[in-house]
Amino acid sequence: MNGWVLGSFVLMAGGLGPAGWLAVRGDPVRRLIGVCLAGPVVTLTLVLLAHAVGQASYLVVPLALAPLAFAGTLVFTRLLGPRP
Amino acid sequence: MIGAGWVLVALGVAAVVVAACVTVVAPDAFARLHLLTVVTSLGAPLTGIGVFLLDGGGLAGGLTLVIVFVLALTGPVLGSAIGRAAALREGRIRRGPPA
Repeated sequence: MNGWVLGSFVLMAGGLGPAGWLAVRGDPVRRLIGVCLAGPVVTLTLVLLAHAVGQASYLVVPLALAPLAFAGTLVFTRLLGPRP
Repeated sequence: MIGAGWVLVALGVAAVVVAACVTVVAPDAFARLHLLTVVTSLGAPLTGIGVFLLDGGGLAGGLTLVIVFVLALTGPVLGSAIGRAAALREGRIRRGPPA
């Protein structure tokens, strides 16, 4: 296990775990923050995994994920209206 | 350079993990949004610069810098949008253009 794999595992356990916990519990805003937190965490995890396997072409995935996660989360903010 | 790169990557990963863990126990949505910004504006750039140093300025390092630049650019926008949605839900502001 090299440093890249170790870093990606730490990010998955310590970053994606709390993000998933936030995303499945509580009120809609709390869940949306969990989804929003998962975007950068998964992006950084994929960056480290791409370096772990030594394939620069794999960086296309996080490169596409970063703007798509942003746009997807923005859509959800439009759906959170005032409390009835 | 390699040692500095690993230190920056470790600091970035640690910042992301600490911010994510504290987000779970934060008292309200606005405190959580503050910690979310730590991930995108501190953790991601530190990790990206560290990866760039480790890569030695190659294609992978450059792509990584572009990715973390996008994250650092979009993070505050998302925080602002979610904060506005949270304030709307709590009745702190009314729907319409910001005053």
